[in-house]
Amino acid sequence: MTVAAGIGYALVALGPSLSLFIAFISKKPFLILTLLSSTLVWLISLIILSGIWRAFLPLNSTTWWPFAILIFSSIAFQEGLRLLFWKVYKRLEDILDAFADRVSKPRLYPTDKMQIALGHGVAHAVFFCLSLLTPAFGPATYFVDRCSQIPFFLVSAIIALAFVTVHTFSMVIAFNGYAEGNKVDQLFVPSVHLAAGMMTMINFAYGGCVIGIPLLFLMAILTVMHCGRMVWRRLSESQRQVDS
Amino acid sequence: MESSILESIGQEIIGVMSPVSLCMLLVVLLVYSLSDSNPFSSSSAPIRTAANLVYLENPSDTTAQKLEGALLNALVFVILIAIVTFVLVLLYYYNFTNFLKNYMRFSAFFVLGTMGGSIFLSIIQHFSIPIDSITCFLLLFNYTIVGVLSMFSGGMPIVLRQGYMVSLGIIVATWFTKLPEWTTWVLLVALALYDLVAVLAPGGPLKLLVELASSRDEELPALVYEARPTVSRNEGNPRSTLGLLVAGVSDSGSVELQAVSNNNVRRDGAENRRSPEYTAIQVRNLENVEGERNRDEGERSPLVGHSRERYSSDSNSSEYSTVIHNRESETSVDEEMSPLVDLLGMDNEREHERRDSVVASRGIKLGLGDFVFYSVLVGRAAMYDLMTVYACYLAIISGLGCTLILLSVCHRALPALPISITLGVIFYFLTRLLMEPFVVGMATNLMMF
Repeated sequence: MTVAAGIGYALVALGPSLSLFIAFISKKPFLILTLLSSTLVWLISLIILSGIWRAFLPLNSTTWWPFAILIFSSIAFQEGLRLLFWKVYKRLEDILDAFADRVSKPRLYPTDKMQIALGHGVAHAVFFCLSLLTPAFGPATYFVDRCSQIPFFLVSAIIALAFVTVHTFSMVIAFNGYAEGNKVDQLFVPSVHLAAGMMTMINFAYGGCVIGIPLLFLMAILTVMHCGRMVWRRLSESQRQVDS
Repeated sequence: MESSILESIGQEIIGVMSPVSLCMLLVVLLVYSLSDSNPFSSSSAPIRTAANLVYLENPSDTTAQKLEGALLNALVFVILIAIVTFVLVLLYYYNFTNFLKNYMRFSAFFVLGTMGGSIFLSIIQHFSIPIDSITCFLLLFNYTIVGVLSMFSGGMPIVLRQGYMVSLGIIVATWFTKLPEWTTWVLLVALALYDLVAVLAPGGPLKLLVELASSRDEELPALVYEARPTVSRNEGNPRSTLGLLVAGVSDSGSVELQAVSNNNVRRDGAENRRSPEYTAIQVRNLENVEGERNRDEGERSPLVGHSRERYSSDSNSSEYSTVIHNRESETSVDEEMSPLVDLLGMDNEREHERRDSVVASRGIKLGLGDFVFYSVLVGRAAMYDLMTVYACYLAIISGLGCTLILLSVCHRALPALPISITLGVIFYFLTRLLMEPFVVGMATNLMMF
């Protein structure tokens, strides 16, 4: 529906990420590099998943359980990859901190970890939503049977927005959880991811998107709140450490 | 708040990646906007270029025929490139510098004028921009002349030169995307292999060229994009940047030694070379001449390594081959040669270069050919779908990053094409064959994870 609508959909999905990027990441070249590498890692994970599932595609779109298995296995794979990514990130952080000590500059801030999280969110949003937006720049629009109230592009942009939020903040929570050995955090992230993925399955039913999408946003808000609480706790702890 | 170390690391890498990304973005936009205008024209009137000499692809041919034809095309093209590069090396060896320099200027003018002009005209046509022909001609003429001036003479703002380099890359890449599909992919792979051989193998033409240039203590005759550093430097006190990976083990003495010896070898000034060939990644490492070990400033960028040169070759004649279309001209060989060597006048400009070289001795250089072929890959991916564009973009950028890191480890000229093109092609085919059904199938059912 014209270029304006296309850009609008893209911004709906990636607007917050873009503002996070401009506010925090664009000033630090290294963060841009880690953002790109994180996006690449998740792209590779998506490719591997699709490679595994290729033989079974295209799935019959009337039954829901193959999709459930698909989503479940994909999420499990990605959570495993997240753990691996954490280990690699830890090593990188150690190198950087050693370097920082040598040049006597401050160490990495917690906000610097956000860009890796952002890369995760952006990778998913880009591949699931943005890549389908090409027809949106043209003169027509497209509606899906199952959710016929709003155009497909808008629905997918909204879902992508929710997922970007979930992925970005859950990565921050996960890294913090692995660093502190906090089991609650470590379990919170996969369960939120799984819950969010399963909620999109509600979209499978006719008219299901009316229920599914608000629930999805509920998960996103939950993630943001948990992350906020966690960061607040850490900041106040480090403040107390500085004071004492 | 004190700035974290992350603010300084990677500045130079980003300085190279941003123009590459910009070039790719603009080529994708151009491909999208210009492809709607005539979806069937390419099949009805295929342009015969040097890349198409043997086989003209026809959509109705069988797969085997197409593959074979594409392989032949690529082979012929690479052989042409190799011949031209050798001629270039010969000319450089025998000091035909004025000839080369003038020919280079002419070729830049020609490319910007005709190829850029035709793209400009098709944009006007596509978007129905109301502009009359005289204004258009005047604008084009000005654009071309300023381009030639900014690229081949000193005293121009660096931003202008960078902008013209990028636009030259965009123009050539857009022309390359008009080649048929199979030929494009096979050609890209063949050029990546050629690049690898030409730069690293002992008899490779580019290696010879590099050695000739360094032995004569001259600028390398190449069109290179320079990413000038943003940190201002004092001419008398050049600071150094040390690679983290290397600086961890080397002591300051060895760094200085390398820096001093490299001083004579590299000149970054205003050299330009028409060829898309050279990826000269060079990071200067000049220690403080008084011997102060100012490590703080020295170790500012851990990911960029010691000075080194890195060249990669690509098809230099490509832009010409696409221009020579319907006149199977004998001049094609001549013109193909021209883009490769342009040596700036070494007499009067030497001092200028020396002055420039002290100021501009930090910064990474990337050859124009790499811009062109990365953009060709992404442009061709854009003709399929946006998803492949993102995947190929990420692959190319990560390949470029890998090459830069590799550069900081090996202290020699390295080709920039192979890693990125290989990753790009692999990701394109993986995305197209594997990921697309997966993701599209899920997304159209409004499911995501």
